[in-house]
Amino acid sequence: MIYLDNGATTFPKPRSVTQAVNNALLKKGANPGRSGHKMSMKAAEVMYNCRKNAAELFDADSPEKVIFTLNCTTALNTVIKGILHKGDHAVISSLEHNAVLRPLEALKSNGVTYSVADYEPYDDEKTIDSFRRAINEKTRLVICTHASNVFGYKLPVERIAALCRIYGIMFCLDAAQTAGVVPISLKDSCIDFLCTAGHKGLYGPMGTGLLIINCDTTPESLIQGGTGSMSSQRTQPELLPDKYESGTPNLSGIAGLNEGIKFVKNKGIANIERYEMRLAQRLYDKLSRMKDVILYTNRPDSDTSVPVISFNVKDLDSEYVAAKLSDYNIAVRAGLHCAPLAHEFMGTDETGTVRAVVSVFISEEDINYFAATLYKIIKFKKQYKKVEINN
Amino acid sequence: MEKNLIMFNSLTQVMQSRDLLKKHRIDARMVRTPSRLRQKSCGYSLLVTHRFDEALNIINNNGIGVLGTATVDFR
Repeated sequence: MIYLDNGATTFPKPRSVTQAVNNALLKKGANPGRSGHKMSMKAAEVMYNCRKNAAELFDADSPEKVIFTLNCTTALNTVIKGILHKGDHAVISSLEHNAVLRPLEALKSNGVTYSVADYEPYDDEKTIDSFRRAINEKTRLVICTHASNVFGYKLPVERIAALCRIYGIMFCLDAAQTAGVVPISLKDSCIDFLCTAGHKGLYGPMGTGLLIINCDTTPESLIQGGTGSMSSQRTQPELLPDKYESGTPNLSGIAGLNEGIKFVKNKGIANIERYEMRLAQRLYDKLSRMKDVILYTNRPDSDTSVPVISFNVKDLDSEYVAAKLSDYNIAVRAGLHCAPLAHEFMGTDETGTVRAVVSVFISEEDINYFAATLYKIIKFKKQYKKVEINN
Repeated sequence: MEKNLIMFNSLTQVMQSRDLLKKHRIDARMVRTPSRLRQKSCGYSLLVTHRFDEALNIINNNGIGVLGTATVDFR
Protein backbone atom coordinates (compact mmCIF):
# COMPACT_ATOMS: atom_id res chain seq x y z
CA MET A 1 0.00 0.00 0.00
CA ILE A 2 1.12 3.54 -0.70
CA TYR A 3 0.13 5.33 2.44
CA LEU A 4 -0.44 9.06 1.98
CA ASP A 5 -2.74 9.54 4.96
CA ASN A 6 0.12 10.59 7.21
CA GLY A 7 -1.75 13.73 8.23
CA ALA A 8 -4.13 11.53 10.20
CA THR A 9 -1.44 9.26 11.59
CA THR A 10 1.88 8.12 10.20
CA PHE A 11 2.22 4.61 8.84
CA PRO A 12 4.30 2.52 8.92
CA LYS A 13 6.06 3.18 12.20
CA PRO A 14 9.81 2.65 12.43
CA ARG A 15 10.76 -0.89 13.43
CA SER A 16 12.34 0.46 16.63
CA VAL A 17 8.91 1.81 17.63
CA THR A 18 7.05 -1.45 17.18
CA GLN A 19 9.85 -3.32 18.95
CA ALA A 20 9.73 -0.91 21.88
CA VAL A 21 5.96 -1.31 22.22
CA ASN A 22 6.35 -5.07 22.16
CA ASN A 23 9.26 -5.00 24.56
CA ALA A 24 7.40 -2.75 27.00
CA LEU A 25 4.47 -5.17 27.10
CA LEU A 26 6.67 -8.23 27.39
CA LYS A 27 9.39 -7.03 29.72
CA LYS A 28 8.40 -3.77 31.37
CA GLY A 29 4.70 -4.22 31.81
CA ALA A 30 4.45 -2.99 35.38
CA ASN A 31 2.75 0.17 36.57
CA PRO A 32 5.35 2.96 36.39
CA GLY A 33 5.92 5.18 39.40
CA ARG A 34 3.75 3.11 41.68
CA SER A 35 5.93 0.38 43.15
CA GLY A 36 9.50 -0.28 44.14
CA HIS A 37 10.11 -3.56 42.33
CA LYS A 38 12.49 -3.74 39.41
CA MET A 39 9.92 -3.90 36.66
CA SER A 40 8.02 -0.89 37.98
CA MET A 41 11.30 1.02 38.16
CA LYS A 42 12.12 -0.01 34.57
CA ALA A 43 8.70 1.19 33.47
CA ALA A 44 9.25 4.52 35.24
CA GLU A 45 12.57 4.78 33.46
CA VAL A 46 10.83 4.41 30.09
CA MET A 47 8.53 7.30 30.93
CA TYR A 48 11.38 9.48 32.10
CA ASN A 49 13.54 8.76 29.04
CA CYS A 50 10.70 9.73 26.76
CA ARG A 51 10.11 12.95 28.72
CA LYS A 52 13.80 13.74 28.51
CA ASN A 53 13.98 13.12 24.78
CA ALA A 54 10.84 15.15 24.12
CA ALA A 55 12.19 18.03 26.23
CA GLU A 56 15.42 17.95 24.23
CA LEU A 57 13.64 17.79 20.90
CA PHE A 58 11.66 20.95 21.63
CA ASP A 59 14.28 22.71 23.79
CA ALA A 60 11.92 22.64 26.77
CA ASP A 61 13.16 23.80 30.17
CA SER A 62 13.16 20.40 31.81
CA PRO A 63 11.59 16.94 31.45
CA GLU A 64 8.98 17.70 34.11
CA LYS A 65 7.42 20.26 31.78
CA VAL A 66 6.57 17.44 29.38
CA ILE A 67 3.10 16.00 30.03
CA PHE A 68 1.91 12.80 28.41
CA THR A 69 -1.58 12.93 26.98
CA LEU A 70 -3.69 10.59 24.88
CA ASN A 71 -3.32 12.73 21.76
CA CYS A 72 -3.11 16.35 20.69
CA THR A 73 -6.83 16.86 21.28
CA THR A 74 -6.49 15.98 24.97
CA ALA A 75 -3.51 18.32 25.28
CA LEU A 76 -5.46 21.17 23.65
CA ASN A 77 -8.51 20.51 25.83
CA THR A 78 -6.31 20.64 28.93
CA VAL A 79 -5.02 24.08 28.00
CA ILE A 80 -8.29 25.51 26.71
CA LYS A 81 -10.49 24.26 29.55
CA GLY A 82 -7.83 24.66 32.19
CA ILE A 83 -7.09 28.29 31.38
CA LEU A 84 -10.35 29.84 30.21
CA HIS A 85 -13.06 30.77 32.69
CA LYS A 86 -16.30 32.72 32.69
CA GLY A 87 -15.83 36.10 31.06
CA ASP A 88 -12.61 35.13 29.28
CA HIS A 89 -12.13 35.51 25.56
CA ALA A 90 -9.94 33.49 23.21
CA VAL A 91 -8.66 34.04 19.68
CA ILE A 92 -8.07 31.30 17.14
CA SER A 93 -7.09 31.25 13.48
CA SER A 94 -9.47 30.53 10.61
CA LEU A 95 -7.59 27.28 9.93
CA GLU A 96 -8.19 25.56 13.28
CA HIS A 97 -9.07 21.93 13.74
CA ASN A 98 -12.16 20.79 15.64
CA ALA A 99 -9.79 19.92 18.51
CA VAL A 100 -9.68 23.66 19.15
CA LEU A 101 -13.06 24.74 17.85
CA ARG A 102 -15.24 22.26 19.71
CA PRO A 103 -13.82 22.79 23.21
CA LEU A 104 -14.32 26.53 22.70
CA GLU A 105 -17.89 25.98 21.51
CA ALA A 106 -18.49 23.83 24.59
CA LEU A 107 -17.13 26.60 26.82
CA LYS A 108 -19.63 29.09 25.44
CA SER A 109 -22.19 27.79 27.92
CA ASN A 110 -19.72 28.67 30.71
CA GLY A 111 -19.50 32.27 29.54
CA VAL A 112 -16.32 31.97 27.46
CA THR A 113 -16.27 33.71 24.08
CA TYR A 114 -13.91 33.47 21.14
CA SER A 115 -13.09 35.23 17.88
CA VAL A 116 -11.63 33.89 14.67
CA ALA A 117 -8.68 35.75 13.16
CA ASP A 118 -8.52 35.35 9.39
CA TYR A 119 -5.43 33.77 7.98
CA GLU A 120 -4.20 35.63 4.93
CA PRO A 121 -2.41 33.21 2.57
CA TYR A 122 1.24 34.14 2.04
CA ASP A 123 0.91 37.46 3.83
CA ASP A 124 2.25 37.29 7.40
CA GLU A 125 1.68 40.97 8.07
CA LYS A 126 -2.01 40.75 7.27
CA THR A 127 -2.37 37.54 9.29
CA ILE A 128 -0.73 39.11 12.34
CA ASP A 129 -2.90 42.16 11.90
CA SER A 130 -6.00 39.93 11.91
CA PHE A 131 -4.91 38.53 15.28
CA ARG A 132 -4.20 42.01 16.60
CA ARG A 133 -7.70 43.13 15.64
CA ALA A 134 -9.34 40.03 17.14
CA ILE A 135 -7.70 40.55 20.54
CA ASN A 136 -9.70 42.51 23.09
CA GLU A 137 -9.32 43.43 26.76
CA LYS A 138 -10.84 40.11 27.83
CA THR A 139 -8.58 37.94 25.68
CA ARG A 140 -6.71 35.52 27.89
CA LEU A 141 -5.57 32.88 25.43
CA VAL A 142 -4.68 32.65 21.75
CA ILE A 143 -4.66 29.17 20.24
CA CYS A 144 -3.18 28.76 16.82
CA THR A 145 -2.29 25.88 14.57
CA HIS A 146 1.29 25.84 13.39
CA ALA A 147 0.15 24.64 9.98
CA SER A 148 -3.20 23.83 8.44
CA ASN A 149 -3.87 20.11 8.49
CA VAL A 150 -5.82 20.50 5.24
CA PHE A 151 -3.96 22.99 3.08
CA GLY A 152 -0.51 22.93 4.64
CA TYR A 153 -0.29 26.70 5.11
CA LYS A 154 2.22 27.58 7.79
CA LEU A 155 1.24 30.40 10.13
CA PRO A 156 3.67 32.99 11.55
CA VAL A 157 3.22 31.53 15.01
CA GLU A 158 6.37 32.92 16.61
CA ARG A 159 5.31 36.44 15.67
CA ILE A 160 1.75 35.86 16.86
CA ALA A 161 3.15 34.48 20.12
CA ALA A 162 5.35 37.56 20.48
CA LEU A 163 2.32 39.77 19.91
CA CYS A 164 0.50 37.89 22.68
CA ARG A 165 3.44 38.40 25.04
CA ILE A 166 3.22 42.17 24.47
CA TYR A 167 -0.47 42.12 25.44
CA GLY A 168 0.08 39.74 28.37
CA ILE A 169 -1.97 36.99 26.71
CA MET A 170 -1.05 33.33 26.82
CA PHE A 171 -0.25 31.55 23.56
CA CYS A 172 -0.94 27.90 22.81
CA LEU A 173 0.54 26.23 19.74
CA ASP A 174 -1.21 23.34 18.05
CA ALA A 175 1.75 21.53 16.53
CA ALA A 176 -0.14 18.37 15.53
CA GLN A 177 0.97 18.66 11.92
CA THR A 178 4.42 20.10 12.47
CA ALA A 179 6.12 18.33 15.38
CA GLY A 180 8.83 16.18 13.85
CA VAL A 181 8.40 17.82 10.45
CA VAL A 182 9.29 21.44 11.20
CA PRO A 183 11.93 22.47 13.77
CA ILE A 184 10.31 23.94 16.90
CA SER A 185 12.30 25.42 19.75
CA LEU A 186 10.74 26.63 22.98
CA LYS A 187 13.96 28.25 24.10
CA ASP A 188 13.58 32.03 24.10
CA SER A 189 10.17 31.49 22.53
CA CYS A 190 6.92 33.26 23.48
CA ILE A 191 4.98 30.01 23.06
CA ASP A 192 3.48 29.18 26.46
CA PHE A 193 1.94 25.80 25.65
CA LEU A 194 2.89 23.34 22.96
CA CYS A 195 0.37 20.63 22.14
CA THR A 196 1.09 17.84 19.74
CA ALA A 197 0.24 14.31 18.75
CA GLY A 198 2.77 11.57 19.35
CA HIS A 199 1.51 9.40 16.50
CA LYS A 200 2.02 11.73 13.54
CA GLY A 201 5.39 13.31 12.71
CA LEU A 202 6.92 11.89 15.88
CA TYR A 203 6.17 8.35 14.64
CA GLY A 204 4.88 7.08 17.99
CA PRO A 205 1.88 4.78 18.42
CA MET A 206 -1.70 6.02 18.49
CA GLY A 207 -2.89 7.00 21.95
CA THR A 208 0.10 9.24 22.58
CA GLY A 209 0.34 13.02 22.70
CA LEU A 210 2.29 15.73 24.45
CA LEU A 211 1.58 18.94 26.27
CA ILE A 212 4.72 20.95 26.98
CA ILE A 213 4.37 23.83 29.40
CA ASN A 214 6.73 26.70 28.73
CA CYS A 215 5.53 29.25 31.28
CA ASP A 216 4.85 29.61 35.00
CA THR A 217 1.07 29.54 34.68
CA THR A 218 -0.33 26.05 34.68
CA PRO A 219 -3.84 25.17 33.50
CA GLU A 220 -6.20 23.55 35.99
CA SER A 221 -6.11 19.78 35.72
CA LEU A 222 -9.17 18.34 34.01
CA ILE A 223 -8.77 14.95 35.65
CA GLN A 224 -7.80 14.22 39.22
CA GLY A 225 -6.77 10.93 40.73
CA GLY A 226 -3.90 8.67 41.67
CA THR A 227 -0.48 9.77 40.51
CA GLY A 228 1.63 7.45 42.63
CA SER A 229 2.95 10.54 44.38
CA MET A 230 1.93 12.35 47.59
CA SER A 231 -0.71 9.71 48.14
CA SER A 232 -1.64 10.88 51.63
CA GLN A 233 -2.69 14.24 50.22
CA ARG A 234 -6.39 14.49 49.34
CA THR A 235 -5.92 17.12 46.70
CA GLN A 236 -4.26 16.77 43.32
CA PRO A 237 -0.51 17.49 43.44
CA GLU A 238 0.34 20.81 41.81
CA LEU A 239 3.74 19.62 40.67
CA LEU A 240 4.44 18.85 37.04
CA PRO A 241 3.99 16.43 35.38
CA ASP A 242 1.94 14.69 38.11
CA LYS A 243 -0.75 17.37 38.08
CA TYR A 244 -1.95 16.17 34.67
CA GLU A 245 -1.09 12.49 34.75
CA SER A 246 -3.62 10.78 36.97
CA GLY A 247 -4.26 7.12 36.40
CA THR A 248 -2.16 4.40 34.84
CA PRO A 249 -0.32 5.76 31.80
CA ASN A 250 -0.02 4.26 28.33
CA LEU A 251 3.39 2.76 29.01
CA SER A 252 3.74 0.75 25.81
CA GLY A 253 2.64 3.75 23.78
CA ILE A 254 5.11 6.00 25.54
CA ALA A 255 7.87 3.43 25.01
CA GLY A 256 7.07 3.56 21.31
CA LEU A 257 6.87 7.34 21.30
CA ASN A 258 10.31 7.50 22.88
CA GLU A 259 11.73 5.48 20.00
CA GLY A 260 9.78 7.60 17.52
CA ILE A 261 11.33 10.75 18.93
CA LYS A 262 14.76 9.15 18.78
CA PHE A 263 14.10 8.17 15.16
CA VAL A 264 13.22 11.79 14.31
CA LYS A 265 16.25 13.09 16.20
CA ASN A 266 18.57 10.69 14.42
CA LYS A 267 17.24 11.61 11.01
CA GLY A 268 17.26 15.31 11.87
CA ILE A 269 14.11 17.41 11.53
CA ALA A 270 15.70 19.69 8.93
CA ASN A 271 16.50 16.62 6.80
CA ILE A 272 12.99 15.26 7.21
CA GLU A 273 11.50 18.61 6.26
CA ARG A 274 13.72 18.87 3.17
CA TYR A 275 12.97 15.32 2.04
CA GLU A 276 9.23 15.52 2.56
CA MET A 277 8.99 18.94 0.95
CA ARG A 278 10.79 17.65 -2.14
CA LEU A 279 8.22 14.84 -2.40
CA ALA A 280 5.32 17.22 -1.87
CA GLN A 281 6.67 19.53 -4.56
CA ARG A 282 7.04 16.63 -6.95
CA LEU A 283 3.46 15.62 -6.25
CA TYR A 284 2.23 19.18 -6.66
CA ASP A 285 4.07 19.57 -9.97
CA LYS A 286 2.57 16.39 -11.34
CA LEU A 287 -0.94 17.29 -10.20
CA SER A 288 -0.68 20.81 -11.56
CA ARG A 289 -0.04 19.38 -15.03
CA MET A 290 -3.21 17.28 -14.95
CA LYS A 291 -6.27 18.66 -16.58
CA ASP A 292 -9.26 18.60 -14.22
CA VAL A 293 -7.19 18.63 -11.02
CA ILE A 294 -8.01 21.58 -8.82
CA LEU A 295 -5.24 22.69 -6.44
CA TYR A 296 -5.88 25.24 -3.75
CA THR A 297 -2.46 26.53 -2.83
CA ASN A 298 0.73 27.71 -4.44
CA ARG A 299 3.53 25.21 -4.97
CA PRO A 300 4.56 24.32 -1.39
CA ASP A 301 7.88 25.45 0.02
CA SER A 302 9.35 25.29 3.50
CA ASP A 303 8.92 28.99 4.18
CA THR A 304 5.17 28.98 3.76
CA SER A 305 3.95 25.40 4.01
CA VAL A 306 4.26 21.92 5.36
CA PRO A 307 4.19 18.97 2.93
CA VAL A 308 0.41 18.63 2.75
CA ILE A 309 -1.40 18.68 -0.62
CA SER A 310 -5.15 19.15 -0.93
CA PHE A 311 -6.88 18.81 -4.26
CA ASN A 312 -10.07 17.89 -6.05
CA VAL A 313 -10.90 16.39 -9.40
CA LYS A 314 -13.39 18.36 -11.42
CA ASP A 315 -16.85 16.73 -11.42
CA LEU A 316 -15.83 14.00 -8.98
CA ASP A 317 -16.68 13.86 -5.31
CA SER A 318 -13.61 13.94 -3.08
CA GLU A 319 -14.73 10.78 -1.26
CA TYR A 320 -15.20 9.06 -4.60
CA VAL A 321 -11.66 9.92 -5.68
CA ALA A 322 -10.29 8.60 -2.38
CA ALA A 323 -12.30 5.39 -2.77
CA LYS A 324 -11.00 4.92 -6.32
CA LEU A 325 -7.43 5.48 -5.16
CA SER A 326 -8.01 2.92 -2.43
CA ASP A 327 -8.95 0.41 -5.15
CA TYR A 328 -5.42 0.91 -6.42
CA ASN A 329 -3.98 0.45 -2.91
CA ILE A 330 -3.37 4.12 -2.28
CA ALA A 331 -4.48 5.56 1.07
CA VAL A 332 -5.51 9.21 1.21
CA ARG A 333 -8.12 11.07 3.21
CA ALA A 334 -11.05 12.91 1.71
CA GLY A 335 -13.75 15.13 3.20
CA LEU A 336 -13.42 17.88 5.76
CA HIS A 337 -10.50 16.49 7.78
CA CYS A 338 -12.12 17.60 11.08
CA ALA A 339 -11.37 21.18 10.07
CA PRO A 340 -14.61 22.76 8.84
CA LEU A 341 -13.29 26.25 9.58
CA ALA A 342 -10.39 25.78 7.17
CA HIS A 343 -12.72 24.45 4.48
CA GLU A 344 -15.17 27.32 4.98
CA PHE A 345 -12.26 29.71 4.70
CA MET A 346 -11.10 28.14 1.43
CA GLY A 347 -14.61 27.66 0.05
CA THR A 348 -14.37 23.87 0.00
CA ASP A 349 -16.83 23.17 2.81
CA GLU A 350 -19.38 21.74 0.36
CA THR A 351 -17.01 19.48 -1.53
CA GLY A 352 -14.26 18.71 0.93
CA THR A 353 -10.87 17.90 -0.60
CA VAL A 354 -8.63 14.92 -1.16
CA ARG A 355 -5.56 15.22 1.02
CA ALA A 356 -2.20 13.57 0.44
CA VAL A 357 0.47 13.82 3.11
CA VAL A 358 3.88 12.23 2.71
CA SER A 359 6.19 10.76 5.35
CA VAL A 360 9.82 9.67 5.43
CA PHE A 361 8.70 6.24 4.24
CA ILE A 362 7.37 7.55 0.93
CA SER A 363 9.61 7.44 -2.13
CA GLU A 364 9.65 9.30 -5.42
CA GLU A 365 8.43 6.10 -7.09
CA ASP A 366 5.41 6.13 -4.79
CA ILE A 367 4.63 9.68 -5.89
CA ASN A 368 4.99 8.66 -9.54
CA TYR A 369 2.63 5.72 -9.03
CA PHE A 370 0.14 7.96 -7.23
CA ALA A 371 0.18 10.52 -10.05
CA ALA A 372 -0.12 7.86 -12.75
CA THR A 373 -3.05 6.27 -10.93
CA LEU A 374 -4.84 9.55 -10.48
CA TYR A 375 -4.31 10.29 -14.15
CA LYS A 376 -5.94 6.96 -14.98
CA ILE A 377 -8.88 7.72 -12.69
CA ILE A 378 -9.39 11.09 -14.34
CA LYS A 379 -9.10 9.60 -17.81
CA PHE A 380 -11.86 7.12 -17.09
CA LYS A 381 -13.99 9.36 -14.94
CA LYS A 382 -16.86 9.60 -17.45
CA GLN A 383 -16.97 5.84 -17.56
CA TYR A 384 -17.02 5.65 -13.75
CA LYS A 385 -19.89 8.08 -13.61
CA LYS A 386 -21.86 5.99 -16.11
CA VAL A 387 -21.28 2.85 -14.07
CA GLU A 388 -22.38 4.69 -10.99
CA ILE A 389 -25.63 5.81 -12.65
CA ASN A 390 -26.31 2.30 -13.98
CA ASN A 391 -25.81 0.86 -10.49
CA MET B 1 24.82 7.17 60.85
CA GLU B 2 24.94 10.15 58.51
CA LYS B 3 22.16 11.34 56.28
CA ASN B 4 21.85 9.38 53.05
CA LEU B 5 18.35 9.91 51.68
CA ILE B 6 17.08 12.81 49.58
CA MET B 7 13.31 13.05 49.14
CA PHE B 8 11.44 14.77 46.33
CA ASN B 9 7.96 15.82 45.31
CA SER B 10 7.87 13.92 42.05
CA LEU B 11 9.39 10.86 40.46
CA THR B 12 10.55 12.99 37.52
CA GLN B 13 12.56 15.13 39.93
CA VAL B 14 14.11 12.01 41.42
CA MET B 15 15.26 10.85 38.00
CA GLN B 16 16.39 14.30 36.94
CA SER B 17 18.50 14.58 40.09
CA ARG B 18 19.92 11.10 39.66
CA ASP B 19 21.05 11.99 36.11
CA LEU B 20 22.46 15.26 37.33
CA LEU B 21 24.49 13.56 40.05
CA LYS B 22 25.70 10.98 37.56
CA LYS B 23 27.21 13.80 35.51
CA HIS B 24 29.11 14.79 38.64
CA ARG B 25 30.13 11.18 39.18
CA ILE B 26 28.12 10.84 42.35
CA ASP B 27 26.38 7.50 42.82
CA ALA B 28 22.69 7.86 43.57
CA ARG B 29 20.25 4.99 43.70
CA MET B 30 16.54 5.39 43.25
CA VAL B 31 14.68 3.71 46.11
CA ARG B 32 11.18 3.66 47.52
CA THR B 33 10.84 6.09 50.37
CA PRO B 34 10.25 4.21 53.65
CA SER B 35 6.59 4.42 54.66
CA ARG B 36 7.29 6.38 57.85
CA LEU B 37 8.79 9.17 55.74
CA ARG B 38 6.30 9.03 52.91
CA GLN B 39 3.72 11.45 54.29
CA LYS B 40 4.40 14.02 51.62
CA SER B 41 7.03 12.55 49.36
CA CYS B 42 6.36 11.22 45.86
CA GLY B 43 7.17 7.74 47.07
CA TYR B 44 10.66 7.57 45.63
CA SER B 45 13.92 9.02 46.92
CA LEU B 46 17.60 9.03 46.11
CA LEU B 47 19.98 7.06 48.26
CA VAL B 48 23.36 8.80 48.27
CA THR B 49 25.94 7.12 50.45
CA HIS B 50 29.00 9.18 49.48
CA ARG B 51 29.44 12.94 49.01
CA PHE B 52 25.94 13.55 50.35
CA ASP B 53 26.31 17.29 51.09
CA GLU B 54 27.84 17.91 47.69
CA ALA B 55 24.98 16.03 46.04
CA LEU B 56 22.43 18.10 47.93
CA ASN B 57 24.14 21.30 46.86
CA ILE B 58 24.20 20.26 43.22
CA ILE B 59 20.49 19.45 43.26
CA ASN B 60 19.58 22.69 45.02
CA ASN B 61 21.76 24.76 42.71
CA ASN B 62 19.95 23.30 39.72
CA GLY B 63 16.60 24.49 40.96
CA ILE B 64 15.18 21.08 41.76
CA GLY B 65 13.10 21.25 44.91
CA VAL B 66 14.19 18.89 47.66
CA LEU B 67 11.44 17.91 50.04
CA GLY B 68 13.70 16.74 52.79
CA THR B 69 16.57 14.52 53.82
CA ALA B 70 16.75 11.57 56.15
CA THR B 71 18.89 8.78 57.43
CA VAL B 72 17.84 5.28 56.55
CA ASP B 73 19.42 1.92 56.82
CA PHE B 74 19.14 0.24 53.43
CA ARG B 75 21.65 -2.53 54.03
